[in-house]
Amino acid sequence: MPTDLSDYVSSRAAVLDRVRRMLREAMKLRIEPESIDPDVPLFGTGLGMDSVDAVELVVQLDAVFGLTLAGSPWVSAKLRTVNTVVDAIMELRDEP
Amino acid sequence: MSLEDEYRSLRHGAALSRMDHVGLVRVSGEDATEAIDAICSGDLWVRDGRIIQTLILGEQGQPVADVYVCPDDDSCILMFEGITTEELSACLSQYADPELEIEFEDLRPAYELISVNGPYAWEAMSKWLTPDVIGLPYLSFYHFDRGTCFRAGKTGEYGYDLAIRSDYVEHAWEELLELVGALGGGEASLETLDLCALENGFFSVRHASASGLTPLELQLQWRVSARKSFPGATSIQERRAKGMNRRLTHFVAREGVHSGDPIHDVDGPVGQVTAAAFSPGIGGVAGMALLDLSLAHPGIDAFFVPTANADRPIRTLSSPLLFNRSLLVDPHQHTYGTRDETNDPPLWLGSLP
Repeated sequence: MPTDLSDYVSSRAAVLDRVRRMLREAMKLRIEPESIDPDVPLFGTGLGMDSVDAVELVVQLDAVFGLTLAGSPWVSAKLRTVNTVVDAIMELRDEP
Repeated sequence: MSLEDEYRSLRHGAALSRMDHVGLVRVSGEDATEAIDAICSGDLWVRDGRIIQTLILGEQGQPVADVYVCPDDDSCILMFEGITTEELSACLSQYADPELEIEFEDLRPAYELISVNGPYAWEAMSKWLTPDVIGLPYLSFYHFDRGTCFRAGKTGEYGYDLAIRSDYVEHAWEELLELVGALGGGEASLETLDLCALENGFFSVRHASASGLTPLELQLQWRVSARKSFPGATSIQERRAKGMNRRLTHFVAREGVHSGDPIHDVDGPVGQVTAAAFSPGIGGVAGMALLDLSLAHPGIDAFFVPTANADRPIRTLSSPLLFNRSLLVDPHQHTYGTRDETNDPPLWLGSLP
């Protein structure tokens, strides 16, 4: 595997793991972190989060990852699945 | 209408579809929930008036039916895809305790299913049924004099599945077609519904290449209980103990990528395409692939489908692939008539490899 791909995959997997653990704790999910699928929807179906959970999630993402979503017009796009949250954190890391 | 016209209706206005591929039954009796719980893979923790999405698995743990369970007083309505009503009845007979007191009623042909989907589907429904339908939460339902309205859908847009009395359904169809027509829409086929489901990452039992896969690889673990027994549970436990080595991942490509194609990186094979279709919204191919677990992540440009002439690059992405209009449309503030699509971001915010 090329080094840059290997680095990207390792970095992404590490963020995914942290997001899963954060979700498990913040949402008090009674499942193992690895049982949270990366493309699982956060709201409505999937993890079944509601608007109260959304507020808690936004606070946690800011506190744990420095990802500020409050007031962002793109918040609904970034909080669709576990993977879209990971995307947002990875983009934040790429910012100069 | 062409598939592209149908797609534009559904993604930008509202589209009407016949749901002849969906089974509709009512299981009644004081043990109805317990009997259904015995055949479904998920925990049926849902209150009356709400809908839960679950699966029925085969003995090898592979999904054979995609099921909505709708608890309704002393009964449950089931909407399901992938198996026939007779197969569902046989499944209940095989796996539910024979001592349970239930009555099984096929609601077809007394009722037929049609659906309205789109960012302005709520506008058609509020005129056809009642303005109160706007407040109906996703995955809930309510009865009206000629049927039942299920706030559901697998397109990423506002969606309503309607079980309508057969003697009234053609009249309802004509009325709704006129209403969606005023919203720039029309009829949408099953092919268009499946394309929209693919773009938004919804599971479809009709994605043929998914056969043999379990909810673990399909990213459907949230529909599998760790607390109860159900058909296929042993296979799921064995697969989980053995460890998963592949996972479904979404991708886009410019062209020429099809279901069943192998996927390579520079070192050789890394996976296989399980579903792919041209997406007018993306202007290229939207697809799903089963990739080696260590590589099954979005944001990778290193894969390609080898062909005799030229390699076809793919880019893995997070699903949903689209920024659905329904995320921007607030029924309390917007209407189709006052929409301004020039100020909306495009459906597809990415770029093709």
